[in-house]
Amino acid sequence: MVSEEQPRSTRGNASRPDLLPVLLLVSVFVIATCGLIYELIAGTLASYLLGDSVTQFSTIIGTYLFAMGIGSWLSKYLDGALLKWFIRIEILVGLVGGWSAPLLFVLFEYVQSFRVVLYALVGLTGVLVGLEIPLLMRILEGRYAFKDLVSRVFTFDYIGALLASLIFPLVLVPQLGLVRTSLFFGLLNLAVAAVVLYRFQETRPYRRSFTLTMIVASGLMLVGFVGADRIMTYTESLAFQDKVIYSKTTQYQRIVLTRNAREWRLFLNGNLQFSSADEYRYHEALIHPAMQQNPSARRVLVLGGGDGLAVRELLKYPQLDAIRLVDLDPGMTQLFQQNEMLLALNQRSLLSPKVQVLNADAFLFVRQDTSRYDLIVVDFPDPANYSIGKLYSTAFYSELDKLLSANGVVVVQSTSPYVARRSFWCIAHTLGAVGFRTLPYHAYVPSFGEWGYVLAARNRPLSPVHRAVRLPAGLRYINVRTLADLTHFPTDMAELPTDINRLNNQALVRYFDDDWGPYSH
Amino acid sequence: MPTRRFFLQQTGLGLASLLAGPWALESCRSTTARVPIAGQLRGANQAVGHLLRGGMTFPAPTRNRTVDVLIIGGGIAGLSARRWLHRQGLSDTLLVELDEQTGGNSSHGQNTVSAYPWGAHYLPIPDPRNTELIDFLRDTGTITGHTDQGQPIYNEYHLCHDPQERLLIDGHWQEGLVPERGVPASDRAQLARFFALIDTLKQAKGQDGRDAFAIPLDQSSADLTFRALDTVTFADYLDQHGYTSPYLRWYLTYACRDDYGATPETVSAWAGLHYFAARKGQGRTQTGGLVASSDVLTWPQGNGFLLDHLRQSVDSPPEQPNLLTHHLAYAIQPQQDEVRVLCYDVTAQQTIAIRAKAVLLATPQFVTKSLLRSLAPDRAAFADRVHNAPWLVANLTVNSLPQGGGMPLCWDNVGYNTASVGYITANHQDVSDQPKRVITLYWPLTDAPPHEARRRAYQSTYADWVQQVLAELETLHPGVTPSVERVDVQLWGHGMVAPTPGFVWGEARQQAMRPIGKQLFFAHSDLSGVSLFEEAFYQGIRAAREIVQALHPSTNPV
Repeated sequence: MVSEEQPRSTRGNASRPDLLPVLLLVSVFVIATCGLIYELIAGTLASYLLGDSVTQFSTIIGTYLFAMGIGSWLSKYLDGALLKWFIRIEILVGLVGGWSAPLLFVLFEYVQSFRVVLYALVGLTGVLVGLEIPLLMRILEGRYAFKDLVSRVFTFDYIGALLASLIFPLVLVPQLGLVRTSLFFGLLNLAVAAVVLYRFQETRPYRRSFTLTMIVASGLMLVGFVGADRIMTYTESLAFQDKVIYSKTTQYQRIVLTRNAREWRLFLNGNLQFSSADEYRYHEALIHPAMQQNPSARRVLVLGGGDGLAVRELLKYPQLDAIRLVDLDPGMTQLFQQNEMLLALNQRSLLSPKVQVLNADAFLFVRQDTSRYDLIVVDFPDPANYSIGKLYSTAFYSELDKLLSANGVVVVQSTSPYVARRSFWCIAHTLGAVGFRTLPYHAYVPSFGEWGYVLAARNRPLSPVHRAVRLPAGLRYINVRTLADLTHFPTDMAELPTDINRLNNQALVRYFDDDWGPYSH
Repeated sequence: MPTRRFFLQQTGLGLASLLAGPWALESCRSTTARVPIAGQLRGANQAVGHLLRGGMTFPAPTRNRTVDVLIIGGGIAGLSARRWLHRQGLSDTLLVELDEQTGGNSSHGQNTVSAYPWGAHYLPIPDPRNTELIDFLRDTGTITGHTDQGQPIYNEYHLCHDPQERLLIDGHWQEGLVPERGVPASDRAQLARFFALIDTLKQAKGQDGRDAFAIPLDQSSADLTFRALDTVTFADYLDQHGYTSPYLRWYLTYACRDDYGATPETVSAWAGLHYFAARKGQGRTQTGGLVASSDVLTWPQGNGFLLDHLRQSVDSPPEQPNLLTHHLAYAIQPQQDEVRVLCYDVTAQQTIAIRAKAVLLATPQFVTKSLLRSLAPDRAAFADRVHNAPWLVANLTVNSLPQGGGMPLCWDNVGYNTASVGYITANHQDVSDQPKRVITLYWPLTDAPPHEARRRAYQSTYADWVQQVLAELETLHPGVTPSVERVDVQLWGHGMVAPTPGFVWGEARQQAMRPIGKQLFFAHSDLSGVSLFEEAFYQGIRAAREIVQALHPSTNPV
């Protein structure tokens, strides 16, 4: 800390000459922290929104440092009441830096050349932050010997930078998120301005005029801070690459539909469910191998699949009398029964008189149902959490077994055998553990990658092609030749030993977490 | 340098208030938006029970009833005895329970979200040799058969679903309750040494061929090497054997509080080790999975599931019910060939005189004491030795639980070094997923001697408890309060027996189990010294056997 023997102010207009330097050094520390935080926020945001984090961080840091240089150069043109300039700059840094993250988030969707806005904002913040330290050094000039001044100012500057670089990834982003972090440090800049403004006599002449500015600025920050969630919801579309054309939060999930020139995509809770460009591959591979097994199938149960796309494939078989679809979320099934664009995609399948749509929890439904089905199609989300993991357990598959007719077949969408090899084989083995014969297979769906399915039946052999069953006309992916190929597993997806997924061990969720962990960001 | 310090303080304060502003604003908003929390304090049976302690003049009997066996107390021991008697053909029984419902520590409740326990909430996988209990679990559908090797096959829906347990330590939820996160190597070594000891003790047998630690505990070995452990406190034992790691000691304290409502300083070393070393369950799932001794059976209503099956195993004809709740037995008068028991019908405010050939007191010792005060003063003296800690159980309906880092919500959720022993998620066993949960918080009031803690607890209001419960939950889930819709609180004045040194293997406990004449019989987990379902179930069957023997000496004991 500053010693008693320090040289006193020679200007003599400070009311508490011994306090000013201490305070201003504390300010160095705070503004250094803020300055680096803004830089980190800009870099993170740019990587987040534009991808390619090395390029983004590198160019943002370069721009920011260069702008700070400009600020430092400009500082020589600021003369007169330096404290007043300092307060002004702090308020500006607080406003510009603090609002940088929310502004960038919001503008991303609306401006054509987002990079121009990004670098302009980064440049402006850099210039303002670049002004701070030279100004402070000039204010402190004469109160310290030059060597002490430089030593102290830069010590605090760099300590602040260290603090910022540590708390940003470890505390701030996880706890507050980018928007609140940004606004929070804006408030810190305002706090520095406020302390300088109200603790020093020489600011008295212009205190009143600044007070209003301070109140308005703080108010703006607080509004942003409190409304951060709303800002994020508003800008949610950022997470998706394309224009959001529909979004709805139901009791169970957030449904988002995006479109670009080529395709639509459906996201549930941010996870891609299908792309209109290649969903036919996924759904043909889900339905037609199963229908090959059972030429006399009449009754089908579909669990999940509220988009009606699996049902669309099923309706290509005129021999089917009754299709019952059980999906948890009425928001989902209604969307695919009402939206004209989606009706064109699923060919109004959920409105067919053969189809009954029930909104119920699948596990409760299968425990209570007493019907018999010739085919059960299980099209659940991947087993990413313990609630969904129960729908892939021996207990669940035992319930399905009770609902199958004598020749009945089950088909289960089973995540990617390439990315989640153990998860895939765990599902196959779990079906085996309840007494099913299984036929694992996979298909290539460009927007998903390699995707896996397991066919299961009791007391009957399963083979990819059944001569007695003709494939419907007009399929784009499945034909007799591809059917035979689906069951071949190359070495990198080949079977490997796994645990069985049970309610009391949830082995699958643990595999899935490990398998997909490296892919999530 | 006072000025400078003052200045720095002022600056710090100023900064702090500026920084705190946004949060203060947010918390204000959530407070004003909050709907008041609903709920009530369940007075338990304490008002009715305290009638026994005097002050109340009961009306003269206006009704009479004659039965072969009268069972006083509708907890697990009483209901287990009732089931056994009926299976042995002794079907002229009557059970009276002072509470509005049967259940004792296995009582349970229900709201629109889920059923939930008011007390005991799980049963560890039993030792396959405990055939009476295995038989009962077949009746409940929990065991669906046996493998060719004779292992019980468990219903997967009744096994506690994964993930089972997590511990909040260091601001992070880790899987499992044994502290791992941030535990230094020397402490880990102690933990490993302790669990190695437990593995040895699980296998250990005495010279009499019995297991060192068994459930029911009466079947444990009589070897002095083991029984000597009953003469020292668990804490002293741990000190003597170098088990001093604060992490290990926290874990063992948690275990003792959870099972005995007392700390290692209060319970005997034998009991402290029994908690771990007596668990020898094993089996298979229906699809061939391994069921281990660490698995537990649980249901949304906790052991209320087992309780209901026990009660329903005997039909109660509506025209002449053989199970009466809200009936307080207040006087026992042995006569020549029968016992006359006066029983107060709390609802009708009438007294019934019941004449029975045999009476089973399936009551906790503090009730037994009042009933036997003049009849058998020595038994009353034994009751005074029973260490009964008060417990608080709170059931909270929450529409979400703010989740910190680490393991997601489990069945059992415990905080390291917190005042309570954590909470269980009552609807954990649901196969469907819903955001609303009922969580059951367990809190043994072990911070003062039982009578003192009890006196303080009786003086607390519902508002006091809610405040404490929410503060406790906030330590586990900061910011949870606005998500709490309902808090119901039950105070158990005499929560459970604690196996203090000398209690389990002292002569007094054996004495307390013995019948008085051929008329008065005794069954309760208090008489085992540990409050476990298995013990109460066993005590009920043991007493039922004695009754069958006394009433029909010619029949072979079963």
